[in-house]
Amino acid sequence: MMTDASDTGHPAAASFTASATATDADHAAFSALALSAMDDVYRFARSLTRDAVDAEDVVQDTYLRAFRSWHTFQPGTDVRRWLFTIARNAFLRARERGQREITLDDEGAAAADAAQAQDAWIQGGLDPILDRADLGPAITEALEALPESYRSVVVLVDLEDQPYEAAADVLGIPIGTVRSRLFRGRKLLQERLATYARDAGLIPARPTRSSA
Amino acid sequence: MIDCNAAFERLFDFLDGEVDAEFERRIRDHFDGCKHCFDRADFERRFLAAVQAARAAQGCPRQLRERVLSSLRAEGWQG
Repeated sequence: MMTDASDTGHPAAASFTASATATDADHAAFSALALSAMDDVYRFARSLTRDAVDAEDVVQDTYLRAFRSWHTFQPGTDVRRWLFTIARNAFLRARERGQREITLDDEGAAAADAAQAQDAWIQGGLDPILDRADLGPAITEALEALPESYRSVVVLVDLEDQPYEAAADVLGIPIGTVRSRLFRGRKLLQERLATYARDAGLIPARPTRSSA
Repeated sequence: MIDCNAAFERLFDFLDGEVDAEFERRIRDHFDGCKHCFDRADFERRFLAAVQAARAAQGCPRQLRERVLSSLRAEGWQG
């Protein structure tokens, strides 16, 4: 959680806006660390909002807040984790303002259970195409179709390489929930990919197991 | 030695690097002797690599980057 500059007692605890104590080095560090993570912040924002325009607002808000409170960033820690936390808070505030209802429960659980039932079909069908270079757009599309609660965990761990503990911290959920949402989210993703591959004619409708 | 159920239950923990060295040794031992679990682990590992590879295509749009930089300059950022 961000603290007000005046409360921290940090030597550089003045707002960047005033520019009183922000040095060239502070600006350079912000540019090198925070700004270079904009792709990561954008992907995470997309995972939270699904909507591209809302995601852009979250990214903009995140960077303004990050800039104003840059003095609270601990050098040597993962700047992306710090930014993800700010982004999630920005997202929650925007949602409160908009009175939006976005379910954070484990929606899609039934679909995931169904996916497990056809696990063998998915593994057999997906296996031959996993190494194809042109699978990227299908993966992106399948990710965007995931329910939000799964999508944000999958993006943090699978795309952004965050440890379970960091994902739990950023999203404000227990590690056990990270683990179960990851499992279900990945299975849902595989199910959607297998369906996509079948519809695109990449795999037969009734794939035969390639290995006995 | 761990069995197939234990290997399955913690497969993603293993692939995500979330297990300790002792468990990692035991699950690798299991894969050495169990083709079914080995194939499954290989499939999941390749699936996760494919997801990771799709990451680059999902970057921040240029016009958003410019909008962010412009609003930061208005806040006093000297970039």
